[in-house]
Amino acid sequence: MASSIPLTRVEPGHPLLNALRIVPGVLLLAGIGYAGKILEHSVNGYAKAHHWTFPNIEYVLWAILIGLVISNTLTIPRVFQAGIDTYEFWLKLGIVLLGARFVLADVLKLGGISLGLVVIEITLSLALMTLLGRWFKLKPKLTSLLAIGSSVCGVSAIIAAKGAIDADDEDSSFAIAAILALGALSLFTFPAIAHALHMNDVSYGLWAGLGVDNTAEATAAGALYSDAAGKVAVLAKTTRNAMIGFVVLGYAIYWAGRDQAEAVGNKAAFLWRKFPKFVLGFLFISLLVSFHAFSKGQVGSLGNLSKWAFLLTFAGVGLRTNFRAMSAQGLRPFIVGALGEVLIACLTLGLVVGANRIWGL
Amino acid sequence: MPTDKSANTSSKQSNWLSLDTWAVLVALALALAVRFDILKNVPW
Repeated sequence: MASSIPLTRVEPGHPLLNALRIVPGVLLLAGIGYAGKILEHSVNGYAKAHHWTFPNIEYVLWAILIGLVISNTLTIPRVFQAGIDTYEFWLKLGIVLLGARFVLADVLKLGGISLGLVVIEITLSLALMTLLGRWFKLKPKLTSLLAIGSSVCGVSAIIAAKGAIDADDEDSSFAIAAILALGALSLFTFPAIAHALHMNDVSYGLWAGLGVDNTAEATAAGALYSDAAGKVAVLAKTTRNAMIGFVVLGYAIYWAGRDQAEAVGNKAAFLWRKFPKFVLGFLFISLLVSFHAFSKGQVGSLGNLSKWAFLLTFAGVGLRTNFRAMSAQGLRPFIVGALGEVLIACLTLGLVVGANRIWGL
Repeated sequence: MPTDKSANTSSKQSNWLSLDTWAVLVALALALAVRFDILKNVPW
C-alpha cells in the first residue's frame, strides 16, 4: 500500500520559528508544482512543433509524477517535512477560493444532485465495506475505519473517527494506507475509464468526487480530466465531506453502545466539531460572487489563486505517496479496500450515468 | 507508514486555530486583497 512520508508534528514554540520551519517544504512543493507547469508547456509545445502524436499531459499529472519519483527514489531530508505537510492547507485554501467560480445557483443545482447521490453512495459503501470486512475477517474497528474512509472522505474521516470510536493506531494506519494507495491508483484509472466512455465534464467530475475517497486525490483526478471536471469534482467531494460528522457520530454511538468507546455527550456539538469548516468558506465566497461583490477580472484572479494553491497540493500528493512502505503493510486490509473501491467505483459510475440520463448533466 | 497525521487535519485543533479556519481566513484575506485591487490580474 502506498503510505505517507512519516509526518512530523509541529512542536509548540515561537510562532515565527514554526512559520520558518515550513518554508523549505513549501518551496519544494512550489518548485515541483511549477516544474510540472513548465513541463506541460514545454513537452506539449515540443511535441506539437515536431508533429508528434503525444498525449496532452497536464501540469497536474507532471506535478504528481515528479513528487512520486522524488519520494520513491530519494530520502527526503527532515527539513522539508513540516512544509510538505502543509499540502492539506493549500488544498483547503484552493477549495475555498474555488467558490469564486461557482454562483450559488450552480452550487444549489449541482450540490443538490451531489447530495442525493452522496447519500446513496454513503449508504451502499458503508454496507459493502462492512460485509467485505466480515467476509475477510478483519478486526471490527478496522472494518469500521475502512467503511468510513471509503464512504465519506478518506484520511480526514478516518482520523476523525479514530478518536470517536477509540480505534488502535495500527488499525488507523492500515486504513489510511489503503485509502491513500487506492487514491493514487484512481488518479490513473478514473480519467482513462472516463475517456474510454466519452464522459462529459460534469458527469466525470461527479464520478471523481463520489468515487475517489481522499479530497486531494479527488481534486487531482477531476483536474486531470479537465478544468471544468475538476470544479465539479471538488463540489461533489465537498458535499461528501460535509457528511463526515453524521457518519462518525453514527459509528461513535454504535461503539459506545458496545462499551468500546466513550459515550457521545452533546450530539450537536459533536457534529459541529467534526464539520469541515472550509465548506462554509467555499459557500461564503460563492455567495459573494453571486451578489456581484467582485468584477469579472477579480473572479478570474480568485480562480487563478485557487489553481496556484492546488498546484502545491498536487505536488504534495506525489511527495507523500511512498510505495516502498507498501510492503510493510498488511495485505488483507488492502484487498478489502481494493475490492470495495472497485465495487464503489462501479456503483458510483452507475449512479452518475443514471443521473445523467434523468437530469441531463 | 502514516504514523500520525492528526497534526495537520481539520479534526485536530492547533494551538491557535484549526487548519480549516486558517484556510478560510487566508482565503478571505486574499479575496479582500483582490476586491480592493491590492492583488490585480493574478496570472496563471
